[in-house]
Amino acid sequence: MRGLSLPEIVTTVLFLLINGLIWGLIIALIALGLSLIFGVMGIVNMAHGDVYMAGAVLSFYVVAYFGNFWLSLVLVPIIVLLFSAPLERFVLRPYEGYPSSSMIATVGISFIIQQVALGTYGGIPRKVTNPWPISFNLLGVDYPGYRLLVAGISVLILIGLWLFLYKTSYGVLVRASMQDREMASAMGINVNRVLITTFVMGSVLAGVGGVLASPINQVFYLMGEDVILLSFMVVIIGGLGSLKGTLVAALCLCSLEGVLAAVLSPTRARAAIFIIMAIILMYRPRGLFTD
Amino acid sequence: MNPGRGAERKSVSTYFALFFLLLFFVLGFILPRGARSLVIQMMVFSILAMGYDLSLGYTKQCSLGHAVFFGGGAYGAIFSILYLKVGILPSLIFSLLGGLGLGLLTGLISVRLTEAYFVIVTAIFFSVFHLLAMDMTYLTGGDDGLSIKLPRLSLGFVKFSLYDQVTNYYFVLLFLALSYLILKRIAESPMGKIFVSIRENEKRVQFLGYNVYRYKLVAFVLSAMFTALSGGLYALTLRYGSADFFSFYWSIMPVVWCLIGGLGTLTGPWIGAVIMSLFQYYVSAWWTYYMILFGVIILLILRVSRKGIVGYLMSRRWT
Amino acid sequence: MAPLNKKLLETVSVTKRFGGLLALDSVSYSVEEGEVRGIIGPNGAGKTTFFNVTTGELKPTSGKIFLKGEDITDLSPYSICQKGLSRTFQLTLVFPEMSVYDSVWVGVNLRTRSPWNPAVPAGRIVDARRKTEEICHWMGLWEKREELACNLSYGDQKVLEIAMALSTEPSVLLLDEPTQGVSPKETDTIMEVIERLSKHMTIVLIEHSMDVVLRLCHVITVFSEGRVIAEGPPEKISKNEEVQRIYLGEIR
Repeated sequence: MRGLSLPEIVTTVLFLLINGLIWGLIIALIALGLSLIFGVMGIVNMAHGDVYMAGAVLSFYVVAYFGNFWLSLVLVPIIVLLFSAPLERFVLRPYEGYPSSSMIATVGISFIIQQVALGTYGGIPRKVTNPWPISFNLLGVDYPGYRLLVAGISVLILIGLWLFLYKTSYGVLVRASMQDREMASAMGINVNRVLITTFVMGSVLAGVGGVLASPINQVFYLMGEDVILLSFMVVIIGGLGSLKGTLVAALCLCSLEGVLAAVLSPTRARAAIFIIMAIILMYRPRGLFTD
Repeated sequence: MNPGRGAERKSVSTYFALFFLLLFFVLGFILPRGARSLVIQMMVFSILAMGYDLSLGYTKQCSLGHAVFFGGGAYGAIFSILYLKVGILPSLIFSLLGGLGLGLLTGLISVRLTEAYFVIVTAIFFSVFHLLAMDMTYLTGGDDGLSIKLPRLSLGFVKFSLYDQVTNYYFVLLFLALSYLILKRIAESPMGKIFVSIRENEKRVQFLGYNVYRYKLVAFVLSAMFTALSGGLYALTLRYGSADFFSFYWSIMPVVWCLIGGLGTLTGPWIGAVIMSLFQYYVSAWWTYYMILFGVIILLILRVSRKGIVGYLMSRRWT
Repeated sequence: MAPLNKKLLETVSVTKRFGGLLALDSVSYSVEEGEVRGIIGPNGAGKTTFFNVTTGELKPTSGKIFLKGEDITDLSPYSICQKGLSRTFQLTLVFPEMSVYDSVWVGVNLRTRSPWNPAVPAGRIVDARRKTEEICHWMGLWEKREELACNLSYGDQKVLEIAMALSTEPSVLLLDEPTQGVSPKETDTIMEVIERLSKHMTIVLIEHSMDVVLRLCHVITVFSEGRVIAEGPPEKISKNEEVQRIYLGEIR
């Protein structure tokens, strides 16, 4: 960053900050899905990043065949639902409540999803064309309109999620199951339905995240690896099962990493976040927002 | 519930060890070059699998971060030969030290965490170390890796060269036998039995007066050291190390080996390593997407039995 | 001769809150050496919570706990056990795939010279072996010593857990519902064991069965809604009107 004048540095930092925040919104969607799945089902889903990847790949195909990017926001959730519901019911059910076993099982699923993507989509990273190539002038900087749109859509989804969980009766059931599954079952809540709903919801969040990210990042069959690592860090720092914590941690971490990546290499920036995580764990072994 | 009784179960594992060690010993003389190379790998993987069993099978700590120790051990040997110009045996001591250091670093942060956090944080450790290793190509050689020239191994008056495949083979076999004997001693000792009791019921052990955290940490670090040893032997065998030694493959394979062979049996994982090595050798040549089968295998073993092959045999009553 | 009236275990105004729920309300309790004390009360009265707080599994919201005069309020469960307080659990905690002998050995091992020994086979350590055999014989588990804990009957598992708690050489033994869920015949066995134990040990017993408590205990404490509502010798408690009212239908 040397050789830049002060106003240039400030605008660059702002630019990176906004980039980071928007990426943080996407990660927030994905990490919330992860957190919900763990909170309600007790499953550590290693394949969650690959659902994100699947969303991106599917969006690529929707754009390729139908020419309309926004259609994928409708189609991808449906496809994810059709695959994730039976997956929960028939494959993952026995591992619920067992973090280690579920993690290993979802690794297996992750391999399968990755290889299928490799076989169909191929190993070459490609980008989805920007569906809204307009730039807006923000504070003297040209900012891509699509990214602002992503921010808007993410915020809408987050609000919708909040409304669902806190304002609907079904959402109350989900949160109750998150607190104490046995008690919920004893109170007559159809826990099985809650399990499928939660898993589908969490997976759809990841898939939609992938759709939103496909014009920004390269669509590549291994793109889920980086996302799952980030999501895990977010969820550990925020606190597994704490939705508020996940949201805050996602926004903060991604903005921070975005800014750091200007001075350090992306890998070093990631390592810096990792060190922060390690330090937080020393004092709060359950994350910042859990008791 | 299983009908096995204490005294009988022990001997199954010992018979397997004797059988395999003898088998490996004989095979070294008669196998052709290509097959011998595969078996050397199997033996290295057996040490890795045993080391991992100490963590997962003996204290129920499902770590996904052991690739850090494998790569660390490999580079420990490589760096010491490259930069410190040490001999073969001292290089393995550096591997062990690498395992000790990295094990302590990872363990002090992770072991006290509850199960879900532990699995996730160890996975994060592996990810970040892998990233760093790939990135710091000036140090690790990145993807392409670093090649080394092996010095001769001198024991007294006799000098051996590990470039001779047969020497390499028996060198590795020796370490397999040694590792087995050490781990068997530990398993039968008070420390080992406390490890088992922690696996059986951690809360109970705590309420019998034990500082369970310390025992788990020791098991974890020992596990890291044996893993690092296998990494060092692997690097010596290949005369090469790359950032790939930190990849997820080395974190997940030990889990699969232990599940197939039997958690907590010490020799079970050897069978897992042998079976999966053969599987990969043949199937990967035949189908590019054989990893799908791999995923299916993982799902199957988890469903069918956690006991694994040796575990199952140990639990049957022998009249 | 050691002075009598020496309080081995003492809680002073121990309160435990879980959010809005008051589980223990200023409970002051003490046990003297050689006593066999019973704790009874309806479900949810706080009996097991009391044990949990005393043994360090939970931290009290306020109040203090003393063991042999030493403040153990903030200690971890394993430290408290090392200082001489051992317990059994309502849901019996055993080692499923370990033999009876090995299970007892675990507690014994901690008190030997080198519990961390990684080099000598456990069977060769003589003092541990001797003590383990002694306890197995004393508790009547010798014939079953090679059986895996998961293969024992539920009653035998309860006896095993008591043996394990005993292996730590406690000064005070806390037994949480040792006859719960056990067949009548095995209840007799367990009662006999506790009776034999009571001649050598200070015991505190949570029980649902009035039979056991009336027969074995010197002093009975009655809990209800987190408070001690009555305390005294068995004859007095069984005649206590408030106790009878609370137990309406539950006393046989």
